[in-house]
Amino acid sequence: MELEKFSYDNGIVRKFALATVLWGFIGMLVGVLIATQLFMPALNFDISFLTFGRIRPLHTNAVIFAFVGNAIFTGVYYSLQRLCKARMFNDLLSNIHFWGWQLIIVSAAITLPLGLTTSKEYAELEWPIDIAIAVVWIIFGINMFGTIFKRREKHMYVAIWFYIATWVTITVLHVVNSLELPASFMKSYPIYAGVQDALVQWWYGHNAVAFFLTTPVLGLMYYFLPKAANRPIYSYRLSILHFWALIFIYIWAGPHHLLYSALPDWAQSLGTVFSIMLIAPSWGGMLNGLLTLRGAWDRVREDPILKFMVVAVTAYGMSTFEGPMLSLKNVNAIAHFTDWIISHVHIGALGWNGMLAFGMLYWLVPKLYRTDLYSKKLANLHFWIATLGIVFYASSMYWAGIAQSLMWKQFDASGVLQYPNFLETVLQIIPMYMIRMFGGTLYLTGVVIMMYNLVKTMKQGSFLAEEAAEAPPMDKKPDRFVKGLRHRWLEGKAAVFTVLAFVAILVGTLVEFVPMFMVKSNIPTIASVKPYTPLELQGRDIYIREGCNNCHSQLIRPFRSETERYGEYSKAGEFVYDHPFLWGSKRTGPDLHRVGGKYPNLWHYLHMENPRSMSPGSIMPSYPWLLTNDLDISTTPTKINVMRTLGVPYPDGYEEIATDELMAQAEQIAEDLQNAGIPAEPNKEIIALIAYLQRLGTDIKASDLSENK
Amino acid sequence: MRSKFFNRFNFILLISILVSAFSFTQAAGQSDYPPGYYDIIAVALVIIVMIAFLGLIYFESRKDRELKQGESLWDKVKYMLTRSTPIEKEADILLEHEYDGIRELDNRIPPWFNGLFYFTILFGIYYLLNYHVFHTGKLQYEEYEEEMKLAAMQKAELIESGAMINEETVTMLTDAASLSAGKEIFKKNCVACHLDDGGGLVGPNLTDEYWIHGGGIKNVFKTIKYGVPAKGMIRWETQLSPRQIQEVASYVLSLQGTTPANPKAPEGEKWEEPAADNSGSSSM
Repeated sequence: MELEKFSYDNGIVRKFALATVLWGFIGMLVGVLIATQLFMPALNFDISFLTFGRIRPLHTNAVIFAFVGNAIFTGVYYSLQRLCKARMFNDLLSNIHFWGWQLIIVSAAITLPLGLTTSKEYAELEWPIDIAIAVVWIIFGINMFGTIFKRREKHMYVAIWFYIATWVTITVLHVVNSLELPASFMKSYPIYAGVQDALVQWWYGHNAVAFFLTTPVLGLMYYFLPKAANRPIYSYRLSILHFWALIFIYIWAGPHHLLYSALPDWAQSLGTVFSIMLIAPSWGGMLNGLLTLRGAWDRVREDPILKFMVVAVTAYGMSTFEGPMLSLKNVNAIAHFTDWIISHVHIGALGWNGMLAFGMLYWLVPKLYRTDLYSKKLANLHFWIATLGIVFYASSMYWAGIAQSLMWKQFDASGVLQYPNFLETVLQIIPMYMIRMFGGTLYLTGVVIMMYNLVKTMKQGSFLAEEAAEAPPMDKKPDRFVKGLRHRWLEGKAAVFTVLAFVAILVGTLVEFVPMFMVKSNIPTIASVKPYTPLELQGRDIYIREGCNNCHSQLIRPFRSETERYGEYSKAGEFVYDHPFLWGSKRTGPDLHRVGGKYPNLWHYLHMENPRSMSPGSIMPSYPWLLTNDLDISTTPTKINVMRTLGVPYPDGYEEIATDELMAQAEQIAEDLQNAGIPAEPNKEIIALIAYLQRLGTDIKASDLSENK
Repeated sequence: MRSKFFNRFNFILLISILVSAFSFTQAAGQSDYPPGYYDIIAVALVIIVMIAFLGLIYFESRKDRELKQGESLWDKVKYMLTRSTPIEKEADILLEHEYDGIRELDNRIPPWFNGLFYFTILFGIYYLLNYHVFHTGKLQYEEYEEEMKLAAMQKAELIESGAMINEETVTMLTDAASLSAGKEIFKKNCVACHLDDGGGLVGPNLTDEYWIHGGGIKNVFKTIKYGVPAKGMIRWETQLSPRQIQEVASYVLSLQGTTPANPKAPEGEKWEEPAADNSGSSSM
């Protein structure tokens, strides 16, 4: 057969590789900054853009979508062309994808510190950026499927299966979770409320981990690990089994983020059992990775690239075992809301994603520049520093998480909480926060060493932008559909394969969503729960803007230790007007669901001005600008209208009197503060925030008290 | 050499699993362990099992020799668990396709892997049956009710035995140790609103004779215990023990007549001790 001549586009690969390194450095630098703020709150210099609540999302987004995202694209653009024996479908699309993605990252880096956020974890970006993400993602899809369809290799290698599953699922996740109604250019409310919003969000959040941080990275592993080790993949059958099992089961597991919450029991149980069933499919990837190294272990000792990959795959195995364990109710009761979870995700992020990306870059950059790595020694140094960093990070956070959780739960002999003051449990783990910061700094230092090494490598080599290749055209002869070779047949049918992958991820989604949205009994209504007043609504948006939900949950679990500390446990019916839900996922500070009426207005005023005046030693940032910023009340009617469209029962025409009602309530609060000697003005943001905080959890308080006595 | 190490390694693992399992069943009979104790044991167990599995995989991946007759029992068991084709024979199972130089072997899926997968599926079925079909497991709100019932019983016992002080039985403490304990509690919990010297800021001045919710040990105890949510006074019942409330209430009353640096204006009514009240010094 005649060979066709073509070339691989290495230029786009280099662009994504450089972006990976740059954003990796920035994302981790922000990580170290917020880690330091946790024991040195003054490090935000009282600048709103630098407060923990605003830049913690910047850290997570930068690391997930900028660092790992660009690393994925680097690997996909390099491996896909070679596995398909075809140049990327369209160079223009490649470049639009690259620049579009970087633009999205830059817009995230600008809007998040400004407090423009939806509050939904890993989906914080506001609606115009959401649309941009969808557009760029679809361009990537066209480019990827275009390449797959014009491939010269008849069968798709396992790496491509993972790329396809990634693209299909992320598209569904992003679109469904981002359905929101704009209230202004940079403000929107999700169409879901309360418990339903929580289910959608954690279906998204969990599967962002599954299909952005796991499946594409497994695809990279399947290409770069055998390449670097020069060994065949251990088991083709295992690839098939674990691929389909993984994508089918993963999509169900989201509710394990909501154990002991107001989510209905059946959904929680589905989350648990599917998480447990994920162990083997996840380990299939680890097995195939580690066993591929059979016969190459002597080289692991010398080759830093293989070392990075071994640690990456091992970390993958550890965190995919830990995850299911954390989904068991009794373990989750200890770990949820604590630093244990932070440790768990960093085993994944630093260990699995980071180490695999580094291994890939050390392999790829010399290839692109037709030279050897500048210094193996430095790469080895990077490896050891990074590994040490992970150890410091993980061990300190495990310790902090378990210690604090046990303190939260401890009762003394007379039946009252041993550590009733939340702050006491925080101060206990401050040394652990310091060790964590040290571990993170080590890891970041490793990245700097890598940057130097890679730049030196680039300098000593010469970049090959167009890599000549040749291959025969695709063999059009159809595979026979025979038993035992059915999957082989499927590997030749990209469209059928894609549809099947889509069906696989749709099953779990529908089984969980349809009853949740259709069956009323899943969210028992409570008559006394009323919509927020206009002022409270504005205050809630300030709460969202400042990212309070990054450190404070609004979900009291049905444990004696929580109802004693915070009040009656949270009920599904209380959240029906919460667009978005604000349950949070981490308690760096105490739960706030029943904070309403617990402290006087003056306490909140002084506490927001400087938390340490009311709680000595507190690590919460000060919010002095809330005391001076004027509340923008011009948005009130629009917000009321949008909420009504979403189903919140404000009466018709209410938007016209909403501003007056807002002012009346604000003046009441200001008057109360003035009586206490504070020159507070009703038109300041702090007034709205206080109004919201004082409302929290109070709708059922009266009945709750009678129940308790 | 390595094989022997792993032999011993696995033996130790087996022993530690058995020991942990034993201590776990023993512990289940006791009740004075802190909450979370069993969970930690369970986690530890699980981690041990995980390490054992990891050891197995690593060892398997390093295996580079053929299974021969007369090898140790462990080798046979291991082969049974993995069914891996030895590396020298891998040419037999090398699939013919090749992608950009990457080849694939057709090793059998390890039986232990399948076993693990089946086990987790069975666990899932058992879990759902247990909680949602036979209702033998307690769901979260049942768990909670049980926990609260137990706590109420304990509290009732404490009150009956006289170990629990309440607003009816409380008496003023005057001994130095109790007052200094009360001072510590005050410093930790009260000074944010009432200031260090009791002069008042968010909360009222505690040094004057004027009380919003009544003076005297019984009223002060009651105010601290139940709080006055409408006015921002926190309900301390869940955070302080009765004895601690007694101590801090006594300390607060010991501030009567002192002169704070910046006293808040009097609020409430002037309190006069009822003649019949003979709450003098007393010890527990």
